[in-house]
Amino acid sequence: MPGATVDAGDKSTSKRKRQENGDQSKKRRKSTGDEEIERQSQIQTLESQILESKKHYNNIATLIGYSEKQIQEPVTALAAAESLCRVFVQLLALGSLVRRKDMSEKDATIVLWLRERLAEYKTVLLSMFQSKSLALKALLLAMAVLKGEALHLDDRDEPTFPRSFLYDIVNTIIMSPDGQLREEFSDKFVDEYDDIRFYTFQAIGDFLTQHGQSIDEGVRNRVFEMLLSIEDAPTSNSELEDFFIDPPKKKKHPLYSLSQHKKQAQEAWLSLIRLGLSKDQRKKVLEVMATSIAPWFSKPELLMDFLTDCYDAGGSASLLALSGVFYLIRERNLDYPSFYAKLYSLLDADMLHSKHRSRFFRLLDTFLGSSHLPAVLVASFIKRLSRLALNAPPSAIVAIVPWFYNLFKKHPLCTFMMHREMRTKEEKDLIESEGLADPFLPDEQDPMETHAIDSCLWEIVQLQSHYHPNVATIAKIISEQFTKQAYSVEDFLDHSYGSLLEAEMTKNIKKAPVVEFTIPKHIFTKAQSGTEENDSLLVSLWDFGSS
Amino acid sequence: MPGSQLKRLKASLKDQGIIGPQQSKKQRRKNAQDQKANSDKRLQRSEALESIREQFNPFQFKTNARGPKFEVTTNRPLTGNAAKGINGRPGLAKSVGEQRRRETLLVEMQRRNKVGGIVDRRFGESDPTMTLEDKMMERFAREQQRSHKKSGIFDLEDDDDEPIEGLTHGGKALTFDQNAALKDDFDDEDLPSGEESEDDGMHPDRKRLKRLRLTDAGEGPPEDEQPDRKKSKKDIYEEIIAKSKLHKYERQAAKEDDNDLRMELDQELPELQDLLFSRKKPEAKGAESPVIIAGVDKVTLDKDYDVRVKKLAMDKRAAPTERTKTEEEKAEEASKRLKELEEKRLRRMRGEDVSEDEEEEKPKRGKADTAGPDVEILDATDVDEFGLGKGIRLRPTATELGFDDEDDFEIDDDLVASGSELEFDEDDDMEEYEDDSDPEDDEFTKGLLSEVESKNRVFQANPSSGDDKDGIPYTFDCPETHVDMIRVFQGIDMTKLPVAVQRIRAVYHPKLDSRNKERLGNFSQALIQHVAFLGDRFEPHWFPTLEALCRHIHSLAKTFPIEVSKGYRAHIEEMERERPLALTVGDLILLTAVGTAFPTSDHFHQVVTPAMLAIGRFLGQKIPKELADYAMGTYLSILALQYQQLSKRYVPELMNFSLNTLCSLAHEKPKEAIGLVPLHEPPAGVRVKGANKTTLRKLNCPDCQPGRSLSPEDEDSLKVALISTAATVLKTAAETWHTMPAFYETFQPAVRAVQHLTTTSKSHLPAALLSKLADTATALSRLLQLAHISRRPLELHHHKPLAIKSVIPKFEDSFDPNKHYDPDRERAEMAKLRNEHKKERKGAMRELRKDAAFMARENLRVKKEKDAAYEKKYKRLVAEIQGEEGHAANQYAREKEQRKKKRENARR
Repeated sequence: MPGATVDAGDKSTSKRKRQENGDQSKKRRKSTGDEEIERQSQIQTLESQILESKKHYNNIATLIGYSEKQIQEPVTALAAAESLCRVFVQLLALGSLVRRKDMSEKDATIVLWLRERLAEYKTVLLSMFQSKSLALKALLLAMAVLKGEALHLDDRDEPTFPRSFLYDIVNTIIMSPDGQLREEFSDKFVDEYDDIRFYTFQAIGDFLTQHGQSIDEGVRNRVFEMLLSIEDAPTSNSELEDFFIDPPKKKKHPLYSLSQHKKQAQEAWLSLIRLGLSKDQRKKVLEVMATSIAPWFSKPELLMDFLTDCYDAGGSASLLALSGVFYLIRERNLDYPSFYAKLYSLLDADMLHSKHRSRFFRLLDTFLGSSHLPAVLVASFIKRLSRLALNAPPSAIVAIVPWFYNLFKKHPLCTFMMHREMRTKEEKDLIESEGLADPFLPDEQDPMETHAIDSCLWEIVQLQSHYHPNVATIAKIISEQFTKQAYSVEDFLDHSYGSLLEAEMTKNIKKAPVVEFTIPKHIFTKAQSGTEENDSLLVSLWDFGSS
Repeated sequence: MPGSQLKRLKASLKDQGIIGPQQSKKQRRKNAQDQKANSDKRLQRSEALESIREQFNPFQFKTNARGPKFEVTTNRPLTGNAAKGINGRPGLAKSVGEQRRRETLLVEMQRRNKVGGIVDRRFGESDPTMTLEDKMMERFAREQQRSHKKSGIFDLEDDDDEPIEGLTHGGKALTFDQNAALKDDFDDEDLPSGEESEDDGMHPDRKRLKRLRLTDAGEGPPEDEQPDRKKSKKDIYEEIIAKSKLHKYERQAAKEDDNDLRMELDQELPELQDLLFSRKKPEAKGAESPVIIAGVDKVTLDKDYDVRVKKLAMDKRAAPTERTKTEEEKAEEASKRLKELEEKRLRRMRGEDVSEDEEEEKPKRGKADTAGPDVEILDATDVDEFGLGKGIRLRPTATELGFDDEDDFEIDDDLVASGSELEFDEDDDMEEYEDDSDPEDDEFTKGLLSEVESKNRVFQANPSSGDDKDGIPYTFDCPETHVDMIRVFQGIDMTKLPVAVQRIRAVYHPKLDSRNKERLGNFSQALIQHVAFLGDRFEPHWFPTLEALCRHIHSLAKTFPIEVSKGYRAHIEEMERERPLALTVGDLILLTAVGTAFPTSDHFHQVVTPAMLAIGRFLGQKIPKELADYAMGTYLSILALQYQQLSKRYVPELMNFSLNTLCSLAHEKPKEAIGLVPLHEPPAGVRVKGANKTTLRKLNCPDCQPGRSLSPEDEDSLKVALISTAATVLKTAAETWHTMPAFYETFQPAVRAVQHLTTTSKSHLPAALLSKLADTATALSRLLQLAHISRRPLELHHHKPLAIKSVIPKFEDSFDPNKHYDPDRERAEMAKLRNEHKKERKGAMRELRKDAAFMARENLRVKKEKDAAYEKKYKRLVAEIQGEEGHAANQYAREKEQRKKKRENARR
């Protein structure tokens, strides 16, 4: 088993090395006190005695006794636990825990006794998970024991995965508030080994279904985080090749099947979602839906209701659900009725101020990327966004205008919004006499009915005189000749006040800036009456305490 | 055509008439007699033979065996060899090359490893065909050529003084005046006067000439006193030649003399004219003459003269005085200058490059990815459309601004502390002139003031103490950091701070010390910090002081634009880094100062753009938590609007904030959205309630301070003030932006908000405010109506249509397959160069190879010759020896025979 971090076999066989290790640890702890050194050596002798003959099996109980004192003497407890781990792994390898038919009654009793001790040891290990300092070590030991158990606990030549022990481990991890332990477990085992992941999903699923609504918020959060941390769904059966325990011989084993893996993951996620999510969790789920959750689902359709509910909920949730819905549409051929109408309704007053703006625009760019969309629809989106741009921050304006450019390139019919000549004299006269109202209906919900295509982009022209020079310059691209093929929208998406300011500030002043040539006589004070000077706007509207 | 080569040769010979049937005797004789025809015929014959030879030598020409590579039709018929399909003449080229090598390489080879030697420059020696006459002719011709080549037309002496290929000895020409001994013999005193100066640098030839002249005159130099000898023919000729030269020289000299004289006369002519036509001189003469007459010695006279000359030189040239300008002219000039500045400002506002070097390196706007079409330049119509042109009208005219107070501190009364030090202050003010072009100022400061002196003067003025009666010292250390500044200004009353600043600026005027420039630069940055610092701790009566300080900074900015803007930028940067959404009053003051010190209308400005962004950031992102936030936002809205008074640029955040303020303060939430404006839910207790008794007031700076606890009355009055100011801001914004194309959409929400306020909060607002709101509403609606009427469909794309890209191949009229038609000029040139290089390289290699072959061949030949000679010698020697041996053998045999015979004889 290459790449195993805890190689129990290695530990049990090379005794010499272990002793050296023991020596080293002894040396290290010399300063902590003679008592401990004594205890250490005692543990060592106990351990070596156990392995020498069956007579000393009672030492196991003593060691367990030591290891239980984790709170009083953590160092000793850990040392005892370590040596116990070695003992059990070695005993397991020797087959001392296997009950054979031809065994004498006495031997059988010993085996039974040993098994009881093993169970005891396991509970001790699990209880160690609660302590902060020992948890990580205990996890490693538990996994080593798990491995030994899987390989040798039964008389069969094929290893069987000790599910119940893993369930216990997972349950303990979930229950423990220690985030580090969870991280360690998912980093070192769940992400590395396909079988561990498989059974962990199973364990989580079972845990959730068993406990149901009785689970409190903290546990729910932990489960959620644990599931979130499991990433990189395999894409084919052939990727399933990293196993913690020796892989099963049967080719048909569920461990080899991607769909079985996915099924377990799906079950775990579904049971979590069924329990209901808090608002933040929901947002988080939606955020990673398309990238790390949906790929785990063998039937992503099961997410459909969840996603559409979120999408219909409005606000930032719908923005976030958009990507999940889009995933379903793309991968699962989900038919979302009046998708574009819904999309259009997302363009509300807060959209350009939302922090998910760039994410939304990336998706919007994809949705409106097709050149087969009706121009009327595209025009509605353009007009609506340009209306919004009138009250938008500069970073949003910077993002939408190049995108408009691309749309105009793709849908030349929409270019009437920039250039509309009055052909007949009657029309001209009418406009001369009565002016022109914008034909666009801002309150219309259906993007096909807004008459946006009959309107003009006065808003963008207004933004050509935006106070920020860059924004103004970018807004001017729609009145220039359309010579460029397309703008890469991605470059314009991620701006903010901060980034714009930083861009200005990082430029060093080389040239002396222009200074106003007249020094005003009054800045805060009022001009004397009688002079021709006018008060500045500020002075006339603000009270600076002077008459 | 006959088959064999021989037959063909015969046939062609016969064709050319070289061979033919035998001629009769008569014919032959006739031919022989006809000389001329004969020679012609011979020529013809040789030519014909040549051509036949060429024709029959298959290796004479290089031809393209397979014919031309491309079939080409061209309108330029081929000529010469190309017409016949001949590409080259290898045989000829080879022989030419061989010949050339024989001439150059072989010679070099033979000369290799040899030093010295004789270069045979003789001619005709090795040519036995030349007759004696020919040789002489040749010699004459060469001599002519030589003399022709080097003759300078103006060379007096060089005619033919040297005999051709003159006699030489030891490689030097033998001439009898060339040895140094003769030179000593010459005595200058002997020579006729007038030519002394010429002597030392004289040409040897000329010396010789002189000597000859002397000998002619019969007073020969000492050497001539040698015993007379009979003149040889050569001497006689020499003399004749020398005589002719002398005459020539004398003619020349006479001419030169004449010229000199003429020049002299020319020069004297003006004086003569003066004498003739003017009578003013006598006085000057009279003044000068006594000095001379008085018999002053020459030294003093000279000195006097020198002094006078110096004085004259130093005297200022007369220059027309500047005419005193009339008031109108002054005004005109001022308005002209103002107009110029205004034009420049307008161009900056449009984002165009200002032609002069200032602004030249205007940073490239837009991000790197807007690299597409250059979108910066608006054409004139666009500018009109945006109403940018009206910026001028709104600008106060020159007289309004009081143009001449460029730096008006000296006449500004609130900067002059009190009447008592008026004098002193004036003094200082004189120094304070920034304008370097002012000549009076220059004169005043030049050489007069040093830092120490000015200090001294100050101390003399006030010997008892360094302070005036307000307790402000006259001199300060120049504070260069803010910490220093706080320390320095510690004891000074706030209202007197401008005086202190003024004094520092006077004492550390850049003209007084070279380091002062740096000091004042740092001082101005510290001053900026100090203003912000004071702003944070403001008291209402400080504002005149702050204003004065801001104006000081502005004035300093004219001298130290970079330092001041760096100071402002540093402050903005710090502000944005640490508290972008929690500004302080100091920040507000500084942002206001930025707005007055720099042209806010510029398309891009290093200080104003970041400042504007900071304002926008606050207005756009701040979600007000208390009334102070609303007050601060309102201040910034006013400021933003003031920034955009001239350029009328649109500030979306201002609309958002003002509308939010109105809607948040309204008694109840609007039932339906007022527009596409994102509205925040206001914090509790902000909505106005029962404030109908409060009086209307303006907002003030203490309102902006967060975390104050207000009494309900104060709160109400603040709310009312906020509503009123926000409404006014919206109204002013509408007036500023009423020409915007989307004005209707922009301000429709504003009308709705104001109407909402008047309807729902009617009972909670004072009557004065309600009427004001009603005013605002009507004004806005009127403007909206106007916008509706004046709205026109957009016609943005009246561009010249782009030409459709042509894909028809370009047809070359005179296509030549050997030519390259690369449209990329650089690449074509590169290819050309590369080809040339390749060709040259190949040629050089070929030449080198041929050279090597030639040298090998030559070496072999030489070796063979040597071997042959050796062999020959060897054989000769062998033969000689053999001969000798044979001879000896014969002798021996003969001897033997003789002896035998003798013996036989004796035996007999």
